[in-house]
This record gives sequence, structure tokens and C-alpha cells, in this order.
Amino acid sequence: MPKNQKPSVDPVVIVMLGIVFVAIAVAMIAFQPESNSINIPANSGTLSQLFVAFVTGLTTGGLSCLAVQGGLLASSLAHQIEQDYVEHAAKHKKTKTNPRSNSALPISLFLIAKLVAYTLLGALLGWLGSFLTLSPMTRAFLMIAIGIFMIGNALRMFNVHPIFRYFSIEPPKFIRRFIRRTAQGTDTATPIFLGLLTVFIPCGITQAMMATALGTGSIVMGAALMFAFTLGTSPVFFIIAYLTTELGSRLEKFFMRFVAVVVLILGFVTLDGGLNLMGSPLSLQNLTRNLIPSESSASAQADSPQPIVADGGLILEVQNNGYFPKTLKAPAGQDFTLNLITENTYSCARDFVIPALNYYELLPDTGTVQVNIPAQKAGSTLFFTCSMGMYTGQIVFE
Amino acid sequence: MIKKTFQIPDMTCSNCAMKLESLEDTLEGVKEINASYHRLEMVIEYDESKLTDEQIVAAVKKKGYQAVLKQ
Repeated sequence: MPKNQKPSVDPVVIVMLGIVFVAIAVAMIAFQPESNSINIPANSGTLSQLFVAFVTGLTTGGLSCLAVQGGLLASSLAHQIEQDYVEHAAKHKKTKTNPRSNSALPISLFLIAKLVAYTLLGALLGWLGSFLTLSPMTRAFLMIAIGIFMIGNALRMFNVHPIFRYFSIEPPKFIRRFIRRTAQGTDTATPIFLGLLTVFIPCGITQAMMATALGTGSIVMGAALMFAFTLGTSPVFFIIAYLTTELGSRLEKFFMRFVAVVVLILGFVTLDGGLNLMGSPLSLQNLTRNLIPSESSASAQADSPQPIVADGGLILEVQNNGYFPKTLKAPAGQDFTLNLITENTYSCARDFVIPALNYYELLPDTGTVQVNIPAQKAGSTLFFTCSMGMYTGQIVFE
Repeated sequence: MIKKTFQIPDMTCSNCAMKLESLEDTLEGVKEINASYHRLEMVIEYDESKLTDEQIVAAVKKKGYQAVLKQ
């Protein structure tokens, strides 16, 4: 860079960093525990789902999408950059300064078009999902399938075995040709059109999010979920595209390794959530709870004496960060009542599931719900979980 | 017209297949290209009188990949 040229940062990067910081700030305010200043609406379990979608987009979705859709973005920018160079060359024939590419407009158009397209896709998926009744067990299988898909994609990125290449979905030839030929256009509408076309080449994480949107069974929720996710991907998409352009392919390789590691971890987390939702004793949470008795006994001691109501029923506190106590002890061979108590509980812990009994209930944010638990054999265990497989616990019969 | 298959070992995603298929629009004598990331190969149908294997390999190299003719 010549000495007389001031170092400059692409305005797009500044704008996108701004969006990220504002989004994080809003999220921190909205999810501030014990916050009295903001009235969290009754459906803020929905909010947390949207937040998770946004963070997923922000952390891994952007990087993953960039690998698949980066070509379309590059095509959107190519003409603008070329034009800037031509204009710069005409104006500064004698100087050797590098032109600043006016890439903000095509990038923004591409981003907005992509956001609109995926929001509409989310609405469509949510609408389709409303025709399907997804029981906790169906959702468990869906989560397990998504988890396996993500793990397969991560192993593909690590190039572990050729078989994992089949975890990457190739669009049909006619769509590939259509996208390619459209990308060669040079009119100003090209970035918008290419942004819309990204729906045909979703990355692995986007496909997982699409499956989640289908599972919501709601047009509004499906659209909101895909909007939050795509919004999350956008800043990373741009920043990494910028860094890759500036710093070369070595950095791109580093980021792809990073993406693979994160996808692998998320894949295992999703798979584990699916196993929890099935009530499987093989999930990581249930395994560790059973294999490390000190933990369960320690928690049992910490929670003791076990809260019992007058009629001999057990009490389970449903809080924003899980179920307490995590291990309940119940007498074998007799029915009893489980009292689920919520108090300003807005997290997904409200969506209470006992897979083995096929019991599912969305609890009120504050109140008590009674569940009749039929007699169980001594030594058996009933697992319970939230509908996302995040928070878990068990009832041990003695 | 003749159809040949080239192995492209350094493809990393399905976007690479799209990049290779863009040779359809730029390489004279090509009728159709079908690239597959799953199989790491590219099937090209072309006019032998207008295009040679070496030219195809060179064009693929320009796109950033190695091409090896599959026997």
C-alpha cells in the first residue's frame, strides 16, 4: 500500500460488525436473568429458540453457507468490482493506487434477497409442517437424523472417508446450469436474483435449520426461525468473504477446519438431544448421570430431603435452567402423582416430556400441573426431558 | 462427439462441481459436462476435432483443480 494512502476498512465490515454487536446487545438485554425492566412475553420459549437459531447462524451457519454459496456472492460482486477498476483506471491513469471497490450495494442487495428468500422458505416449511403432527418421538427421530447428517458433514469436511461425501447434497443438473448461467448476468438486479437463488443450494447447517422450521408446524414460527438464522449468517458471511479476499486461501482453509469442528460438536449435541427425547439411557446426559453415581448421589444429597406433598406425591421444580431435583426417587409398584411446579419459567423446560409414557405437556409459566405416574418395577428408571432434549432428569424406582 | 471421464481429486464441495461445469460455456467444442463431487469426477462430452485432452486438463487447472483422465 502506498504511504500516502490511508489504510481503510471496507464499510461493509463496519456495518456488519455493528449489526452483530447490536444483535448481541439486544439478546443480552432480552435474556437477562431476573430482569424486571423488560417484560418477557409468555412465549419467550419461542424467543430463546429464535436466539439459538440466530447464534447458530452467527457462529457456524455463515461459514458453512459461505463454502457453498460463496460462488454466487462472488458473481454478484464481480461486475461491480470490475466496473470500479475500469472507472478508477479512467480517472487515475497516472497513479498506481488501488481502487476501493464499491461492494456495499451488491453485497447488501444479495444479503437482503437471501434473507427474504429464506424467510419465505421458512414460512412455507412451517405451513407444510402444520399438516404434520410431530410427536416427541417423531421429533426425536428428526433430531437424531439431523445430528447424524451434521456429524457426517463434519467428517466429510475432515475428508475422513469418501463415503461421507454423500452427506453433501448436490442440486440437480438443471438447477446448477440455471444458477451458473444467471450468475453470468451483469445487470444491477443480478445480486438480488442470485441472493434469491441461494435457497436452491443450502448448506448442511441451513438444511438442518430447514428441518427445524418444518418441525415448528407454524408459518410465523417457521419464517421467524429462518429469518433469525439467515440474519445470523449474514455478518459472518460478509466478514469472512472480506477476510478471505484480503488474506487468501490459507485463512479460508483454517476457517473451514474451524467450521468442521463446530459442526461436529453441534452434531453430537443434536444427536444427544434426540436420544434424550427418545428417553434413551444411552444419551450422554443419562449415561453420565448413571455412570457417575457420585454426581447423582451428590445432587440427591444436595436436594434432600426430597420434597413430597401431603398425598405422597413428588414435587419437581421446573426452572428456566432445568429440572430440580434431577433425580427423584419413587416407591416401586404403586401409582403416584408428580407435581410439576413452574414459577416464571419461560425456557423450553416448560415443554415437559416423559418419553416412555408418551406424555407431553406445555406447562403454564407459573402454576402446578399434576401427572399421574403408573406403577413401575423396582430398579427401573423413567427419564424426563424438555421438548428440545436439552434439560433432563430421571425418576428412579426403589 | 466423444465422452470421457476425468478424475478431479481435489474437489471439496458441490460448488466445485458447478465451477467445473462452467467450462461448458467457455471451452470450445464442449457439448456437455457433468461434474460430481460425490464421485470426484467430471464426465465431458466434446468434439475431438476441436478439443484435446491436454486442453481440457489445462482448462481444469485454470479453475484450480487437477484433472486425470480415467482409463
